[in-house]
Parts: sequence; C-alpha cells; structure tokens
Amino acid sequence: MPVRVTESSTPSQVSGTNSGDTAPPACTLLSVGQTFSGTQNVSSLQKEEAWRVNVRIQGCDLEHGYLCGTMEALNVPMADTPVVTFWEGEIVDTKNYTFYTGKWEASPEDDKRHWTKFPSFSPLLSQVEVDGGKSLDLSNYPYIFMRWKEQYFVNVGTDCGLTIAGFYYVCFSCSDGSISGFYYDPNSSPFQKLELKSTNEGRSGFSFSTYELQ
Amino acid sequence: MPSATINKHRPSELLSRLASDEPELKVRALRELKNQIIGNPTKKLSFLKLGAVPAVAGILADSIDEVTDNNNCNGNTSNILVQSAAALGSFACGFDAGVQAVLDAGAFPNLLRLLANPNEKVIDAGARALRMIYQSKLAPKYDFLQQKNMDFLISLLNSEKENVSGLGASIITRSCETCLEQKALFDAGILRKLSGLLEGGSLSQRDASLESLATIFRNNPEVISKFAGPEIGRPLSSIIDLAKDRYPRTRLLACMCLIVIRNASPHFLQDIGIKTKIIHILLELLDDPGQVGDEAPFAFSSLIAQKEDLQKLALEANAIDKLHHHLKKGSLHPRRYKGILLALADMCSKLESCRSKFLSLQVLNLVADALTDHNAGVRTAACVCLKSVTRSIKNLSAGYFMNEIIVIPLVQLFLDPSTSVQVAALGAVSNIMVDFTTRKSIFVQCGGMKQLVQLAKSMESAVRSNALWALKNLVFQADNRLKEGVFSELTASLLSSLISDPEPSVQEQALALVRNLVDGCINLIELVFAEDGYILGAIGRQLQCASKAEIGIQGMYALCNVASGNEFHKEAVIQQLFTQMGDKNQSFVIKFLQSNDSQLRTATVWTIVNLTCPSSPGAPGRLEKLRNAGIISQIKNMVNDPCVDVKLRVRTVLGQSMAFGDN
Repeated sequence: MPVRVTESSTPSQVSGTNSGDTAPPACTLLSVGQTFSGTQNVSSLQKEEAWRVNVRIQGCDLEHGYLCGTMEALNVPMADTPVVTFWEGEIVDTKNYTFYTGKWEASPEDDKRHWTKFPSFSPLLSQVEVDGGKSLDLSNYPYIFMRWKEQYFVNVGTDCGLTIAGFYYVCFSCSDGSISGFYYDPNSSPFQKLELKSTNEGRSGFSFSTYELQ
Repeated sequence: MPSATINKHRPSELLSRLASDEPELKVRALRELKNQIIGNPTKKLSFLKLGAVPAVAGILADSIDEVTDNNNCNGNTSNILVQSAAALGSFACGFDAGVQAVLDAGAFPNLLRLLANPNEKVIDAGARALRMIYQSKLAPKYDFLQQKNMDFLISLLNSEKENVSGLGASIITRSCETCLEQKALFDAGILRKLSGLLEGGSLSQRDASLESLATIFRNNPEVISKFAGPEIGRPLSSIIDLAKDRYPRTRLLACMCLIVIRNASPHFLQDIGIKTKIIHILLELLDDPGQVGDEAPFAFSSLIAQKEDLQKLALEANAIDKLHHHLKKGSLHPRRYKGILLALADMCSKLESCRSKFLSLQVLNLVADALTDHNAGVRTAACVCLKSVTRSIKNLSAGYFMNEIIVIPLVQLFLDPSTSVQVAALGAVSNIMVDFTTRKSIFVQCGGMKQLVQLAKSMESAVRSNALWALKNLVFQADNRLKEGVFSELTASLLSSLISDPEPSVQEQALALVRNLVDGCINLIELVFAEDGYILGAIGRQLQCASKAEIGIQGMYALCNVASGNEFHKEAVIQQLFTQMGDKNQSFVIKFLQSNDSQLRTATVWTIVNLTCPSSPGAPGRLEKLRNAGIISQIKNMVNDPCVDVKLRVRTVLGQSMAFGDN
C-alpha cells in the first residue's frame, strides 16, 4: 500500500472565489508508456488465489479526466495464454468526474465502501459525503483516485469464460507510483484487491518514453 | 467552288466590329460581346486571349474623354459607356483572369469616373462593373483612411441606387483588413448605414451589407460590443432574422456574420437555441447545389472549430450523418469535397463520441478514397480528417487504423509534389504510428519507415520535423527489432545532425526520437554510444544552447533514460552535464532546475534521481560532482516546488543523497 505523505497532503476545500485548477496533479509515473506489475487477489470462500497482473498506460488526457491502458492477467487458471484487456479510466478530478460513480451498478454507498478502503481517502470522506467531492481541491494531493473499466478483451474471445463486467476503484500514489485497487462487480467476489508497483524493466532507474498526437 | 463568307459570330470578326467608327455598330458589337461571355468562362478566356479587354477598355476611355472634353453626353456616347462598362463587368464576374485583365487595361479609374456621370444608366453600369471587380480578391485595396475616400465611400452607401450602395459595401468587404480600419469605419458611422441596408435594402444590398459587417466585426470585440449595444438599435436581431431568410445565400451570409460575432465575442449568442439553429441552417445549406452549398461546410467549420460545446450540439443535430450523406454522393466539386472533409475533421478533433459516430458510419473508407483525389486541396483535407479521427486512443489501441486501405495511400502521399499534402499526410501517419498492437510491421513492410527517414532529410523544415515526429511515435513502445531497424536506417550521424538542425522543432523531435529509442530493453541504450557516442555529444551540445523549454524537456528525458542504465551509461551522462559548460562556467542543469517550466524541472530532477540511485556503486562519486557544481544545493531549494511532481522527485534525490551521508 502507498505510504502517506503527511505534509501538505490534506486537501483543502475550494472557497467560492477560487477559480484555479482543482484537478489532481500531473504525475510522470502515471504517464503514457509507464508499466506496473503486481497481483490481483481473487480469493473466494473456497480457496486462496491471486493472479499476476501487468498494466501499461497507453493514453492520458488530463483535461478530460481520461486514462487508458491494458491489463494483462498472467496465471489465469481457465486460460492457456495471458489474458489482455483494454481498460478506460475516469480520473476523479472534481470537474469531469467525482467520487460518485453514478453507473455500472455502483450506488453512493458502494462507492464509499470501496473508497474508504484506501487510507489516503480518509481525509476526503466528510466532504465526499456532502457533494461527492466536487468542491475538493486535489491539486496538491499526492494521490490520484480513479475508476478503471475494462472495455474489451485484446487477445482472447468473449467466450474465454472470464468476465469484465465490473470495474476497479483505484488509488495511485504519485510519490512511488504504486497502485492499489478494488474490483467491484455485484456478481463477483467482493473487494478483490489489486496491488501494483511501478516497474523499470531491469534498469537501475526510471525511463520515460512518449508519443504525441497531432 | 466555295466562296469566302464573313462569319459574323467569329470572335475575331466581332473584335473588328468593336473598332467601327459607327457608334451604333460599336454599341451593337459591345452588346453582342457582353451577351456571348455572360456566364461562360470558356468564351471569356477565348476573348481574353484575343485582347478583347484592352479593346473595350480603350473604347470606354475614349468615350469618357469625349464626354469630359465636350461636356456633353449624348445618347450614343451614353450607350457606348453603358455597354462597355457592362462588357468589362461581365469579364470580371466570377473570373479572376478577367478581373486581372480589366485592371491591367487601366479601366478601373475610368469605371470610377462613370459614377459621376449625369446619366443614371451609366452610373448603374459603372457601379455594377466595379462590384464585379470587388467580388474578387484581386480588387485594389481602397484606402478609406483618407478622409476624401471615406467621404466617397459614405456617398456610395448613401445612394439609393442598388448597385452603388452595394458597391460601397463590397469595397469594405475587400479593403477592410486591420483593426484600425475597422475602427475608422465604425467611427465614420458606417455600421449604421449598413444596418439600414440590412433592414430596408434589396436582396443584393442585404447580402452585401452582411458581408461587410462580417468584415468589420472579424476579431474585433470592441466594434461588436458597440454594434450590439443600445447605440445602434436592434441590428443583431436583424441578422438573426436574416439567418432564417428564404434566400439561401442570405441565410449563409447571415450565419457567417453571426459566427464572426460569436468567435470574436463568445459572450454574445450564448443562447443554445440560436447556436443549434445556426448548426441546422448550415447543415441544410449543404443541400444547395451551387456556391452556397460549396461554402456552407466552411462556415460550419468556423462555427465548431476548437469548441467542444458546439461540436456536441452538432453531433446531436446529426452533423456527421449529414456530412457523410453528402460525401457518399460522389462527383463533388473540389471546393465542396474539401469543405466537407474539413468539417468532418473539425467535428472529430476533440470528442471521442464524434469519432465513434464517424467510425460506426464507416466514413473512414470514403476519406481513404479522397487520399487519391486529383485535387491537392482535397488530398490535404482528407489527411487532416484522418489526423482528427486517429486521435482516438481507444481505436489506436485496437490497431483499427493500421491497415493497408489507409496506410498505403498515405505513404504514397509522402512523395506528393505539394508540400502541404506531404505535411498533412505525415500528420495523419504520426497518429497512426501510435499503435499498440503488433501491426507496426505493416507500415515498415510497405516501405513507410524508409521513406520517413528520407523525408527527415527534406529541405523543408516542416517535412523534416513531421517525419521525425512520425518516427518518434513509431518507435514508442516498439520491440527491439523495429527500433534497431529504424536506427540503422537513420544512422548515428544523421540523427546527430538532426539534433543540431537549425530549426528548433526539428531539434525537439529528434531528441524525442532518441528518448524513445533508448527506452525499454536496457540494451537499447547502447544505440547512443554508436560511432563514439556522437549522439550523446550532440544532445549535450544542444541542451547547452536550447532555445526553448520543449527542447530541454526532450533532451533531458533522453539523458534520463540513458542514466537509467548501468554504471558506464550513468558516467557518460554525468560527463555530458559537465562537459558542456555555458556562461559563468555553469552547467545547463542549474538553468533547467530554475526554469519556469515545471516539465523541464521534472525531467531534470528525474535525471539526477537516476544518477544518484543508491544501488549503483558510482553514485557517491557522481553525487560529489553534483554537489560541487551547486546542483544539490539548488535541489535543496526546491523542496517546496509548486509542482507536486517536482517536489516528490526532489525528495527522492534528497533521500538518496542522505543515504550517502549528506545532510
């Protein structure tokens, strides 16, 4: 789980006169081309189980609160090959998206139940209960909250026996690039935990590639 | 045996009759000439080649001198003046070569002199001919900043004669270019007169007035606010009313005028109903088979370009379906073809919902067809349209655009004789290169990669820069084989010379390309050490004299990526930081850390993070060098950097520094 930066980490509430940008900060560790690896715990009452997961960021449009990428699950029992899905993310930026999902069968109660599982969310809870977090200033907060929704299978058919009906509540730590998430699907095991760390492909340091669309 | 007969319809014979001394014959010949060329560009051109325009201009000049010399304008002379002016007007009507010929023949001042003639028919013919000239961009600019010219312009607008006041409006449309001129026209009370024509004028006066008003308003919020304010009355609502007029051209001109107002002063026309109405009117005008229909997509583009709210409204008004419907018809006039493609480009420039609609209607294949059109403007517009649609990351991720139907014709356009087509094709290809599937090989196999490398050597800097942009996107997250293939095609020496290109945009793209080449597998870092590290040296030299932040950002990330390698790589980077010393014997790193650009500060601090990574044995030595150069103390000053990303990386550096006993 991410380490909390205590100093200046409590987000302020936007006053009526503040017209500046209240969206979370841009973070190089969450930019296009960055990769992450870790596990998703898919344990049920019957058995303990975790899949290895790799994530790659493919698109990032902060103005529209948009992020996308692929997620590769490696040791999925019912699949012969790693299963790759394409997902699209909503960044909770108080402008395009708030903490309330408002779709995907997630009620405000479901939202709160999941967000509160992230320790870094606790300073925000009271304001989120008031207005979904619309009036929060997240511009100096070193955590970025998102929802990731898988859209399609990249390398297998829809008959692979897996479902992408649900979505992830995600918390990204800007300081070390670690990601925590909880999968939500009313028809799947609750609170499947996703834990990812920024990877560096055998390098002694961080590397950043880029593309630009014209 | 055949005998010679005189063919009275042959152009040369008609010209000879123009030279007749007999006034009636002359008038008849002029009338005949006018009737033959009206609405017939082919005839106009053939008479032009025979020298008809100087001949008619000569007749006009002689007759006008006669009137002046004798102070007398009899019926024959008046007829000659009317018919010669009418013939010259017909040559100029919608035909730029004709306008040029009339101006070259020196007829313009004489046509102006006709406006002072006592005969109303002569005045009308002169004014009509001048209006035809002022329909063209070749018309001479009229300097109304001179008071006497402004007085003359006002007298034209005050005239009750339709062609004369219409001429006044047309002169404004063609001659008013600067803010100062717009202001001068406003101060002279011209807007009030044009508004009068809007409300009480004939069809042609209203149209001319709408065009003039748009010219006076363009990019001038000050004039607009005065016009729409209480001083003038209700002209804005008059324009809104005219947008619903029964004449298509009037509707188009009124919409264009409203768009100019809205684009210069967004607080006007906020009403969603009006915005939606304009969208619907312009989409309906696409059905007009003539010039109005040709111009409607351009007006539509100027309304929605860069404005998400209007693009959304247009999507709801089924704009993409309608534009698609017209595109499907085929055999379009090039102007209309180009306009529809550009309108689709603007529709798909920002919103994913628009791109989804575009793709679901399968408009893509029609745009691909336009890539091979014979008209360069159409080809460019097709590329611009593809560039917009291919901004969809979702579809790029699915490899939707990397297919032969799109890629092969685009690659063929790399060799297009028109530079603007080349640049537009490179723009579309740049986006398509951001493909996350394994299909990048399609592009390489059709020779696209090799051609991009050739274009990186172009004499045109825009072509070089865009070719490098496409290569940068091609190697983004690509496998080792593709990256090595690109590098061996480019060569270290070409890449180094592009890093040192005189054009900043080329430098930036070349550095970004290196950045991407050395990302990924650690072995790829070796690429910058080819040919004795020539590339690395070029990066260091360019960073020392970087003319803009973007060059610094790409160069620093290239160094950062190299510094994420082994000891040898890190040492080579630190050497670059200190080999290239600028004024005051200071490393460019200090300058970048003090930059106002947070991305440049971020890239620079990341490089220091990599150089001082505690797991590498040489880190203490490098830290010492950084400390001695004042870089660590500069970083210490940045613990409260306003950019969160910078602040967090600064803390990492300081944490690593403390691990080696620094405090």
